[in-house]
Amino acid sequence: MKVSAIRQALLLIALAFVPAIGEAIYFRDRVSWRSPDRSSEMVNLDQAQSWGANAIWVDARPDNEFEQGHVPGAIPLNEDRWNELLPTLLAQWSLEKKIVVYCSSQSCNASREVARRLRDEAGLKEVFVLQGGWETWLKSKR
Amino acid sequence: MNTNLLIGIVALTALAQEARSELKWEQTSVDLKPALGDKQAVAHFKYENVGNTPIHFESVHASCGCTTAQTQNEQVAPGQKGEITATFNIGGRTGTQVKTVTVRTDDPNPAHSTTVLTLKAVITPLLEIQPTLVYWQNGEEPKPKIITAKANKDAAIKKLDVVSSVPDFTAKVDAGSAPNEFKISVQPRDTTKAVYATLTIKPDSPANTGNTFAVAARVMPPAPTSGTAITPSTKATVSTVRHDLVTPAPTAASPRQ
Repeated sequence: MKVSAIRQALLLIALAFVPAIGEAIYFRDRVSWRSPDRSSEMVNLDQAQSWGANAIWVDARPDNEFEQGHVPGAIPLNEDRWNELLPTLLAQWSLEKKIVVYCSSQSCNASREVARRLRDEAGLKEVFVLQGGWETWLKSKR
Repeated sequence: MNTNLLIGIVALTALAQEARSELKWEQTSVDLKPALGDKQAVAHFKYENVGNTPIHFESVHASCGCTTAQTQNEQVAPGQKGEITATFNIGGRTGTQVKTVTVRTDDPNPAHSTTVLTLKAVITPLLEIQPTLVYWQNGEEPKPKIITAKANKDAAIKKLDVVSSVPDFTAKVDAGSAPNEFKISVQPRDTTKAVYATLTIKPDSPANTGNTFAVAARVMPPAPTSGTAITPSTKATVSTVRHDLVTPAPTAASPRQ
């Protein structure tokens, strides 16, 4: 009786491992400790807009997309022309200002990369990534 | 009995000969190591139609605007080989870059109709500069601040030329504490007025094909005092300082909302 209970317990433990192993294999990049996003770096549109003139909007999309439309007053800063564009942002930055970086949509990565470089390379502190990017901005204006 | 066996064999043979198309990829992931100063990294993804009917490409879509992908042909005949060329424009990117190209064909088998090709490039910069901004608060003691520039060991950089866009800053370059490292000492002449400078760094290296790097130096404007009434004269002063500091964006943008 006792042996049977132990055997059943071991079987249940082994069964519990099956979905866990599956998740580790198929969703390797989505498990929380590997997530590329830190929630503290993200900002939603309402919050970013509430900063008003204390926010500097940075458009991380390619030049042609920026030219087709952008957040009013946004500064273009993409990695295609990083060295050329960076000085414009640094000239406008000041300590009390927050930087809001956006790219096309939730799935794009350019805004995260630009935000990371502004923090790591330029040493800027208050740099945020806009959740949903340009798509969210457009939706809010419809 | 023998007849049934014969029918079975014929049926199996017919099934085996069923029309099918399939692109077989030589590799779906390519690792690239562009040379110093390269502007582009190019990956070739080779394929062959191992089926017996033609395959058509429906779309070839790169994951970012920095990558373009081209097919040699719209249609791939049975047995035909070809390749998709993916060109990654490096621009100002550094570090490990992973870009994908999604290829869709008219293969009726959903398992084969979409293929994701991955291009991984490790970009080693000629120069790693940190920080790219140094600043002084208004009225702060004008002591020098240090920017560290680590040169790529393969670049054989002997010296750096640093030029300030305005005469309000001086920049002096010394050897750093580690090999291939430089220390750029930046100092403002005066910290009582707001000023902005772009410091252009030009490495002297055979591997450098005219690349320059930009860092910024600033003396910040005086912090606005809370509760201070803005008189017409102070308003005008603030406006003048901002006009001097702000470099206009490359394209016309509407006022910030």
